[in-house]
Amino acid sequence: MTADSLPINRAGKIIEILPSPLKINLMELGFLPGRQILLQHLAPSGGPMAFLMDETLLALRKSEAALIRVELI
Amino acid sequence: MSETTLTQKILTTRIALVGNPNVGKSTIFNYLTGLNQKIGNYPGVTVDKKSGFIQITGETFEILDLPGTYSLFPNSEDEIIAHRVLNHTKLEDRPDFVLMVIDSSQLSRGLFLATQLIDLGINLAIILNMVDLAEKRNIEIRTFELFKSLGVPILSTDARNQKGLDEVKNLISQRNFKKAKGFLDIQQVVPTEILSKVRDKFDLENNYQAYQLIRFGTKDKAIPASDRAYLEEVVQSANFDLEEAQLEETKIRYRKITELVTNALVKKSIPKPASNLDKIFLHPVFGYVIFAGILLLIFQTIFTWASFPMDLIDGLFADISAGLAGMLPDGPLTRLLAEGIIPGIGGVVIFIPQISLLFGFLAILEDTGYMSRVVFLMDRWMRPFGLHGKSIVPLVSGIACAIPGVMAARNISNWKEKMITILVTPLMSCSARLPVYIILIGLTVPDETVFGFINLQALALLSLYLLGILGVLGTSLLLKLILKTGEKSFLLSELPPYRIPRWSDVGITMFEKSKTFVFEAGKVILAISVVLWVLASYGPPSRMDQIRMDGESKLENVSDEAQIAEIEAETTSLLLENSFIGIMGRAIEPAIEPLGYDWKIGIALITSFAAREVFVSTMATIYSIGGDLEDELTIREKLDQQVNANTGQKTFNVATSFSLMVFYVFAMQCMSTVAIVKRETKSWKWPLIQTAYMTVLAYVMSFITYQIFS
Repeated sequence: MTADSLPINRAGKIIEILPSPLKINLMELGFLPGRQILLQHLAPSGGPMAFLMDETLLALRKSEAALIRVELI
Repeated sequence: MSETTLTQKILTTRIALVGNPNVGKSTIFNYLTGLNQKIGNYPGVTVDKKSGFIQITGETFEILDLPGTYSLFPNSEDEIIAHRVLNHTKLEDRPDFVLMVIDSSQLSRGLFLATQLIDLGINLAIILNMVDLAEKRNIEIRTFELFKSLGVPILSTDARNQKGLDEVKNLISQRNFKKAKGFLDIQQVVPTEILSKVRDKFDLENNYQAYQLIRFGTKDKAIPASDRAYLEEVVQSANFDLEEAQLEETKIRYRKITELVTNALVKKSIPKPASNLDKIFLHPVFGYVIFAGILLLIFQTIFTWASFPMDLIDGLFADISAGLAGMLPDGPLTRLLAEGIIPGIGGVVIFIPQISLLFGFLAILEDTGYMSRVVFLMDRWMRPFGLHGKSIVPLVSGIACAIPGVMAARNISNWKEKMITILVTPLMSCSARLPVYIILIGLTVPDETVFGFINLQALALLSLYLLGILGVLGTSLLLKLILKTGEKSFLLSELPPYRIPRWSDVGITMFEKSKTFVFEAGKVILAISVVLWVLASYGPPSRMDQIRMDGESKLENVSDEAQIAEIEAETTSLLLENSFIGIMGRAIEPAIEPLGYDWKIGIALITSFAAREVFVSTMATIYSIGGDLEDELTIREKLDQQVNANTGQKTFNVATSFSLMVFYVFAMQCMSTVAIVKRETKSWKWPLIQTAYMTVLAYVMSFITYQIFS
């Protein structure tokens, strides 16, 4: 599954970042395989999502979250 | 002059301040430079060059505040600037040293950029800022471990509470920066022969510089085309995937950083859970309600607080003008000074209360961390129109005044989204349109209530605001299709922890924004207002003299004060009608007749290019309305009596009035906005295009309106 379909308040472990021009932007922010992310907030109507990673809250668009492949933990 | 600047250049040590967004970099910059800041340009981009000076023990240092960036990879205009300044070894204003600010609670992310700087061979020192936040999260950093592994000086600060900042000054004055040995060997991901080829050709210090040039040089317009072609060829001949290399570099770098951080970081206990405020502020319903409430509060405050200093400025400049006119001998020069230049300067200064207040509030919202929540909430609603969540701030500011709105668009890093925002913001109905709307609605819309509670006049006013918003959305959609950019749009931002604002930073922001407006847009505004004044005050000399003489001879025969006032008002009106602007107003009559306007309205359209509210005073002059202009009832009554010479009907009938209101909804009609758009886009091209399409839009919409209602 990808991070955009993570249930709210559930954590996932990043498996990989899918190929895209934004891959490098995600990686430089720290979205790296092995790290854990927790979906904490959702903007309404398919808006951005906020993930908690290492105590930082990071906002991503849904389309950007869809580039992060995760497994539920 | 040239000699002194030369010696200054040699003596001043230049230090660049670098860091991720939201690490407190600007607090450190403000602490070091105070009000001693200046804003300049980088060639070819809309990003401002922010620098300042600091004197330590008699020595001057220049501090260059680079835009916040996560890496040396240039994704947006902001990052291109950071990339260029740090990479281009032969750049004239390359910094001597770099001070990198890292958020202590985000150590690995900060080290990503820091280690890239080390690899570039930069003379570096690191500030671990926000130690208070790290402490709160029970994180302890073993600074010495970090120093041993990185090899560059490291300081800990808590800039918000002014802790450790003296040590930063000492570090600067002692030039305690170090060039460390490389952190990551780029030969792991890029073939050595390519690296050495480029190194030799461009005479570079190390392999990482060569790698940066290979990876990004081909797209960097600051590099000569022949060099770009060479780089392209080198990469192609080696049949080598650059993007893959960059991803590989990122992975290896983060892996090494994770090792480093594991050694240098002590987590003392399980951290407390994050703040719960977001449960309310990001709530799908209450989040928006709170945002609307905050906006309402801000506008309420701006309107109440700004009107007092604005009236004061207005009165002050009127007094200066009158005083000068009385003191100096009457003549063209005195009139130019008293009626052209002084009111022109007044017209610039009058914006300061609105600009400083709005930016004061924006700085508070930014500093508390709330602004990034607004972006989070609004992004989804802005995107379909080619805008970014960040566009909401400029657009909403536009309701007060387009100028601070356009200035606030600077925070949008994507070029296309920034341009669309700047180009559509003046379509929001600003406070200067209000006097025009109110007079015309008063003339044509009955003060009646329908359905028991809806006031027709209020409904008309609301419709005009909504029409402006429709204009914003429609134009955005159109621009979304027209404008092209290679940059990708992304949100990808941190929602920083909520904090108390730093009041000194808020104050500096208010001061700097006002200063930028006055000194950069002010020149253009002053020039245009003087030109407009000349055109309105002068005409063919023989006719103007004749009118003056007629007026004087009429005055000789009367003694009644009311009659004198009437004759004087008539003369002023005749003078304006026969001035160059009057002639222009007559000349454009054929063009504006289909909109329902006569040449008198034409004159007001031209004069009110200075600012929309001038429409009202011009109308008063043309229709010889003497007396108190503040009293809108007199103006309204006079206007109501006017008869259009072409049609024989009332000039301000429903069709013409509606058409005029619609014209003011869409037309640019504000030289200050033109000036600030020029300043923000760094070219005349965009403000001219903008003025043209807004005028065309206004014309077409007014034409349709007139045809419907006549």
